[in-house]
Amino acid sequence: MARPASRPPQFDDAFDKLYRDHIDLVYRYAHRLCGEAESAKDLVQETFLNAYRGLKHFRGDARVSTWLYTIASRACLRMRRKRKGAPERELSLEEFVPTSEGEFRLQIPIEGQTPEQLLENKELREALEQAINKLPKKYRMALVLRDMEGLSAGEAGAVMGLSERAVKSRLHRARLFVRRELSARGMAEDAHHSQEDWRPKETGA
Amino acid sequence: MSRKKPAPREISSTKSHRHEPGARRCIDILRQLSAYIDDELPEDICAELRRHVGACPNCEVFIASLRDTVTLCRQHHPPPLSTYERARLRQGILRAWKPETHS
Repeated sequence: MARPASRPPQFDDAFDKLYRDHIDLVYRYAHRLCGEAESAKDLVQETFLNAYRGLKHFRGDARVSTWLYTIASRACLRMRRKRKGAPERELSLEEFVPTSEGEFRLQIPIEGQTPEQLLENKELREALEQAINKLPKKYRMALVLRDMEGLSAGEAGAVMGLSERAVKSRLHRARLFVRRELSARGMAEDAHHSQEDWRPKETGA
Repeated sequence: MSRKKPAPREISSTKSHRHEPGARRCIDILRQLSAYIDDELPEDICAELRRHVGACPNCEVFIASLRDTVTLCRQHHPPPLSTYERARLRQGILRAWKPETHS
């Protein structure tokens, strides 16, 4: 692709290095936040444009990856405001307290299988993705950064502009939410358990 | 429920409890669970919670399912970009660059 005269001469080299070194990380993060490929690509584009725009101000105080996570997170929040996504609401701990014996017994049928084997199960994989996508975005971001991208609470806090404590609080609620979603769907086709064992009682099933 | 004034972050060592909706005792335990599975609790509180969990099958099942949820999240990877998509995306970004609006 020929470089248009409007782009500074050093653009392509600097951009290509940034892009080459971090495209997989940014796309993976974007896909986890957006839940599907096309929105993720939009977010990647926005992230790299903003990153290049701010490159001259980047002083190297943070790792490049943390800086890109921050840019992508902000871009995602802006994009999401324009789209219909999961409703924004606060998750309270009270809503995750099981109210019946049956709810305690609900669990993900993981016994005897590795997580990799479990995630080969299309239904479980889709259930997990849907559960994460249903999270209000500020909780989803904490879950993705900590449990999926593997950042520490301090790093996730730097990305989100929050204290470690606030990150941990959001992460905890996000985990409880996803657990409840997976359980409530009754991953009941597992051969080890009957459907009765998995169904939440309040559904009347 | 039976404790009048629970200290912050403390978990009662009573052997069993009822899991009533919104019960203070349940919230106290629920609040600690991520820190518990992330191994971030002080040893004394962790030991106390472990004792409780050992005596309460409901809590044991609940914690196992929360731990499994975290494991699944950690192992879940979106499909990677193909070489073609990576190149196409790069071209799209370069085309979208407008210096007059990105100064």
